[in-house]
Amino acid sequence: MADQTSTTEPGMFDVERLLKQARTYLAFGEQIRQFTEQSPGVGSQPIDWDTALRQHFDRFKAMVARSTADSNIHPDLTRLWTLTLESWQQAASSLGISAIAPLAGQNADTWQAYQQVQGEYLELLRQSAVAALDLMEQRLHERAASGETSGSLRELFNLWVDCNEETYGRMLRGAEYSELSGRLLNALLGCCARGETAR
Amino acid sequence: MIGLTPERIAQELQSFNARLTQGARTLHGLGEIETGVSPRDAIHREDKLTLYRYRPRVEKPHPVPLLIVYALVNRPYMMDLQEDRSMIRSLLDAGLDVYLIDWGYPDAADRTLSLADYIQRYMGHCVDALRERCGQDAINLLGVCQGGTLSLCFSSLYPEKIRNLTVMVTPVDFHTPDNLLTHLIRHVNVDLLVDTLGNLPGQLLNFTFLSLSPFRLTGQKYVDLIDILDDAQALKNFLRMEKWIFDSPDQAGEAFRQFAKDFFQQNKLVRGETSIGDRRVDLANVTMPVLNVYATQDHLVPPAASKALAECCGSRDYMEFSFQGGHIGIYVSARAQREVSPTVATWLLAR
Repeated sequence: MADQTSTTEPGMFDVERLLKQARTYLAFGEQIRQFTEQSPGVGSQPIDWDTALRQHFDRFKAMVARSTADSNIHPDLTRLWTLTLESWQQAASSLGISAIAPLAGQNADTWQAYQQVQGEYLELLRQSAVAALDLMEQRLHERAASGETSGSLRELFNLWVDCNEETYGRMLRGAEYSELSGRLLNALLGCCARGETAR
Repeated sequence: MIGLTPERIAQELQSFNARLTQGARTLHGLGEIETGVSPRDAIHREDKLTLYRYRPRVEKPHPVPLLIVYALVNRPYMMDLQEDRSMIRSLLDAGLDVYLIDWGYPDAADRTLSLADYIQRYMGHCVDALRERCGQDAINLLGVCQGGTLSLCFSSLYPEKIRNLTVMVTPVDFHTPDNLLTHLIRHVNVDLLVDTLGNLPGQLLNFTFLSLSPFRLTGQKYVDLIDILDDAQALKNFLRMEKWIFDSPDQAGEAFRQFAKDFFQQNKLVRGETSIGDRRVDLANVTMPVLNVYATQDHLVPPAASKALAECCGSRDYMEFSFQGGHIGIYVSARAQREVSPTVATWLLAR
């Protein structure tokens, strides 16, 4: 009964995950490029730094607020902070729950109740994303104050990731997230229980 | 200040794009990705379960077999991921006779399987098969993560069948303040979950794990991948890990119901209130030598959750090993290859 080792084709790897994140990174890079372009001299003259940075981050935060209402505004950039929601929606769709509209046979009331909880969840994620931008702005100010510069776009992206993990982690550990994520799953199950599921 | 110019950023983005395009070709030409590298033979099957014996790498392996019990979540090939990252290979090299339970992929027919089925029936049959095969009254058991919790239950119920017990990154006290999984399942209506879905879909579990650190695990990781897209070997290593992460079996409904409610939500194990079948699990019955291996940076099973075993197990030969790393690194990191397997092997061979 000799057993073969398990193998898989590289095609099993979901290349789309890589491509999506690549597009998101490019969108992030484009944001930073715009900032450096619209703030002439920030690379060398510290005079307008505070104002330029504040204005840029204000725009960034406004974009996050807009994309809460409509994720199609700038999908690649929106993905920067809605990764969790996207993973959740993939898991939900594997149970036959659509993010867009109730499927045939699904009770519209329970689906709407689920959508409402999902909206609350998205709002919590948005707050965390805005807090991450505040934190990043603060870190960049601190760097500027100490004369430290960022050598590459990737370094800035990594800083952005660190800031998001920090604020997201705080949110995740909070009682509100525990309660809301439980309610989200329970509401999803409510849809499954009253409608047709994929399983 | 940022210290970057628009030209520099444009250059970096262009280079990123070029590497991505080149990487697509490397990905295409990689060939098969192997996971699970050590030769093994199936010696027992029952329903979805397969019991494997790894082919010894010494002429005369240790007479007491070592049975590895992996978690029900994820797949056990993490213990034997690739030649230079294989805990199983290290244990074989140390002269141990290594066996492993592969739980398989539960489907709708398995929704009524209970923890009693997994612990008393499946594990019981595997342990008895090895006792008989090797002519030993008691065997060595190595439980990993949730598999460690199952192994503790088994050892408590049948202490006479276990000579030495090793548990790795195993939750015992599920209510330590830093336990994120407990935090996330606290408000979930587990009965509604199981009654509605039958089995727990692997994809839901996967979401839970990824949601603990989404910006790193579902974002930054793929951006960093660009850096190794031209390195076929590094890329294969990445793909092996990637396959493992997303290879999440569904969980048999009734077993999940009991594990989620009794262990996560009500923390019955540490209080001696868990019952498997009609028998109560009392960790004071775990009187055989115990080695408890935990990881200091474990985000899934915090060290305190594992170390609680010291206070409630009945062993007089209890030892802890603290690994400086995380829940995944304890299997596959270079440090783990140097530290964890040799520690387990040395501890076992001395007993």
